[in-house]
Amino acid sequence: MFFFVGSESFFFLALIISYIYFSHTGGVLSESSHYLDIKRTGIFTIALLSSSITIFLADVSLKRLNRKAHRIWLAATIILGLIFILGQTTEYLKLYKLNFTISKNVFGSAFFTLTGFHGLHVLIGILVLLIVLIMINNGKFKTIEHTAFRSAAIYWHFVDAVWIVVFSVVYLGALI
Amino acid sequence: MGRILNSIHRFFSEMSRSSSPNEDYINKLFLWFLILAAIIMIIVIVAVLIGAIHYRSSRHQGEPEQITGIKWLEISWTIIPLLILLIFFYFTVRFMKDIDQPVDKNQQADIIITARQWWWEMQYSKYNFTTANELHIPVHQKLLMRVESADVIHDWWVPELGRKIDAIPGTSNYSWLEASDTEEYKGACSEYCGTQHAGMRILVISETKNEFDQWVQEQQKVPSPPVDSVGQRGMRLFSERTCAGCHSISGIVAVSHIGPDLTHLASRKTLISGVLTNTPKNLYLWLQNPQKLKEGSHMPNFILSNNELEALVKYLEDLK
Amino acid sequence: MKLNIHIPEPTKPIPDIRTGEGLLQWLSTVDHKLIGIMYLCTALLFFVLGFGEALMMRIQLMRPLNNFLSPEAYNQLFTTHGTNMIFLVLTPMLLGFATYSLPLMIGANEMAFPRLNAFSYWIFLLGGLILYASFFAGGMPNVGWFSYAPLSERFFSSTKGVDYWVISLLLMGIGSVGAALNFVVTTLTMRTKGILMNQLPLFVWMVFVNSFLILAAFPVLNAALFMILIDRQFDAHFFVSATGGSPVMWQHLFWGFGHPEVYILALPAFGMVSEVIPVFSRKPIFGYEFIAASSVAIMLLSFGVWAHHMFAVGLGTTFNAFFAASSMLIAVPTGIKIFNWIATMWGGSVQLKTAMLFALALVVNFTIGGLSGVGFSLVPVDWRLTDTYFVVAHIHYVLIGGSLTGGFAAAYYWFPKITGRMLSEKIGKWHFWLYFIGFNCTFFVFHFLGLLGMPRRVYTYPDLPYLGTLNLFSTISACVFGISFILFFWNIFYSLRHGKIAGNNPWNAWTLEWLTSSPPQQKNFEKVPLVRSRRPLWDMLHPEDPDWKRENKNKIKKTGNE
Repeated sequence: MFFFVGSESFFFLALIISYIYFSHTGGVLSESSHYLDIKRTGIFTIALLSSSITIFLADVSLKRLNRKAHRIWLAATIILGLIFILGQTTEYLKLYKLNFTISKNVFGSAFFTLTGFHGLHVLIGILVLLIVLIMINNGKFKTIEHTAFRSAAIYWHFVDAVWIVVFSVVYLGALI
Repeated sequence: MGRILNSIHRFFSEMSRSSSPNEDYINKLFLWFLILAAIIMIIVIVAVLIGAIHYRSSRHQGEPEQITGIKWLEISWTIIPLLILLIFFYFTVRFMKDIDQPVDKNQQADIIITARQWWWEMQYSKYNFTTANELHIPVHQKLLMRVESADVIHDWWVPELGRKIDAIPGTSNYSWLEASDTEEYKGACSEYCGTQHAGMRILVISETKNEFDQWVQEQQKVPSPPVDSVGQRGMRLFSERTCAGCHSISGIVAVSHIGPDLTHLASRKTLISGVLTNTPKNLYLWLQNPQKLKEGSHMPNFILSNNELEALVKYLEDLK
Repeated sequence: MKLNIHIPEPTKPIPDIRTGEGLLQWLSTVDHKLIGIMYLCTALLFFVLGFGEALMMRIQLMRPLNNFLSPEAYNQLFTTHGTNMIFLVLTPMLLGFATYSLPLMIGANEMAFPRLNAFSYWIFLLGGLILYASFFAGGMPNVGWFSYAPLSERFFSSTKGVDYWVISLLLMGIGSVGAALNFVVTTLTMRTKGILMNQLPLFVWMVFVNSFLILAAFPVLNAALFMILIDRQFDAHFFVSATGGSPVMWQHLFWGFGHPEVYILALPAFGMVSEVIPVFSRKPIFGYEFIAASSVAIMLLSFGVWAHHMFAVGLGTTFNAFFAASSMLIAVPTGIKIFNWIATMWGGSVQLKTAMLFALALVVNFTIGGLSGVGFSLVPVDWRLTDTYFVVAHIHYVLIGGSLTGGFAAAYYWFPKITGRMLSEKIGKWHFWLYFIGFNCTFFVFHFLGLLGMPRRVYTYPDLPYLGTLNLFSTISACVFGISFILFFWNIFYSLRHGKIAGNNPWNAWTLEWLTSSPPQQKNFEKVPLVRSRRPLWDMLHPEDPDWKRENKNKIKKTGNE
């Protein structure tokens, strides 16, 4: 999973570099940056960051063989992830209403592509965690429970780490 | 034997023709490189042949000595190529700087080339006229070209006159142009740009100062309307059949860049961006069915009658 | 490193390849051997298509101002030919040999992720089929295999060909990344007892290093592909300069993938040759450490050379100089390999079997290709020769002369292991010589064509001196080249029925795959002895002169009786 995550990080690297390049050409950043609502997005960011903590706690519970706590923390992670997705979706809807779309200008293109692919990765992560949770509930995992969960956890931490970079570059970067 | 050597000599001269100080740099660097490459190839081929023939199993029976490596040898064939490349790197950078001399910010380009699908628009900033596909330059003069594109990425390349340079939409690239002889130079677009990339050729004619000045004067003249009836009919058709919507001719219509400027079409040696020689017959065939001669070109077939074709050809071929 | 996943052994005996249960076995298999064979057969199939595309182009080009093909047809052909040969022939060929041989060479019974292995193959095949589906959907892509923007934007390419191309590459990329993941994890966790990382057979090492290239390069391609797709489908503005985008950005992203990609295609071929030459010289590979280290150097450097494809873009002298330096630097590790391979032969007892002939052809032809590449790193020379037939010569010398030739060496070397029968040496020799002569005659003249001023990707050319003659010569030679492939297919067909039975180790080679039967049983190995060196079978056969004693001594070995 580490290698896969390493591979995907190159994907995001390419998108982030492209975003930085495109947002600084043509002066569109100054004209469009007011669309970014840093406070609102900040709240949802906290949700995502907390989900990393909850999944870490789930891992700790599993190591201590506290299966009930493990399942609760895992469920909490999923819920926090869903809150993040909700936040992203409502933000997108708001922006579309304000006519700030992917085709508005090159900043729009880069913004939606970068955050969109990140959101997609979060969605996939939630799906994987859900599947793991359901399979744990059904007692499917005996000896490999640890590996499947740990792989999913690594992926989840990766998704979170990418968001920290993306949030800093996009939202905090727009402040400069 | 002499004839064979002669033709080999001619072949290699054909490949290394140069008419420009910039191209001379390139040729020199390439020649040194070629010599190095030939030496390396001979070494490798001979070594492989020795390995395969001298050490073949019929001559060396049984299991040979199981050597796994000789460190000093491997280190030397790491270091020596590195040093050779270092020398080449030095000359690479030096020649690069000589060819691509810096352009002063305030300097205005002498010639502005706008690449379009699939022809070349040329403007002379000093002389205030536009032409297409055929560039005249005075010999021995160092000119600054600004190369741009109106649609996709193209590439200006005239091998004997120096480096090739991309024409990229949205940016301007600068390149120096200097011819050392009075000759005609053929070039071509060198970045795949669509259907007729192969049909986007370049002709550069280098002339003495007098010839060049004369050509400039001719190009700056506004052509007088035709005196004969056929030509006059042609001129009318030019506007009526919407040719003027894409092509401009000084004195008649407003500027349109979609197709080449035809003001002095008859003065050019080739038609259709180097695809055809400029003769009335070829122009007739072109107007009759453009897609047959340059399939994919943006010029539609106007389904002209024979009379209309004759009139237009007469009119256009009088635009000297 | 140890995996926690337990791969169960089959409870019932499973029939071997040829007595298998028909189509369903192939469609549902997760056995790396069968998947490897599927990759190889797919490569052969698409090769026929790609060669047909090339032949049609050559017929069009054999005369100046020919009209055998329309410009639109020609443009679709060269785009598809390039994409086909790189992604649908060379990639599956190399992945196929790796999938087949890597577990065997490290004494493993299976790959680390067998289901991912199968998935990688099938999604790769889907990608290939989608590319050709574009033919029925309104036109194959016609913007070149590297699809420069803004030509590839919807405004200039309104048919769906480019969209199909994008999706096809995305899917094939997923297949490659999956395979690479498998290779890395298998090599790290499933080596049999005793194999240290610096005792890996060089083919395994090359595939391992190569996998990192795949893992890092394909995501960059994916980013670029998504961006052009979003541009085309959602009216985004990434590469359209009029609305703030940058066509050059596409080039940076694409070549950021594209350059590592060509090393992805080359490194496994180097690995193949590093296996074949020692066996047929009856000596160990000369300078294992330098070859292994040079591969890592190539891997790292390959990420720093991409802009040598962009010297004509006008990015500035400093920028160009940096990439010229890095491109020259990357030539050195390959040069080391060439010299080491030759040194392996010297002092040996060389058997010129067909596999060896192909390996030697790689040494010669790749040197030509590599040298023309070094020529391009000299920026002013690049300014003359880029985008001409000189580049076409270079790419075919490195890709055919390098990758494909290495593949044939591997084919002749491993066919006995895969099928249990030897390929005919007689047909093989004919195949080889027609191939070698046909290839060199077809493509060497391209160097001259480039120097004479013929640009690339042109459906025709004017009747200037020598252009017609050289092109005609190339077309005729291409036919000879094509015949050599017919011989290869015949060799396979004939040898599957009438080939000599191979036995476990027909070449008296020394790596672990030769320990088991030919073809291997489903389980690969019943028992693998403890491995102590790079050539475990040599140690078994020569207990008085084992490799592990040699590897621990000082490497500089000069005998007294010279």
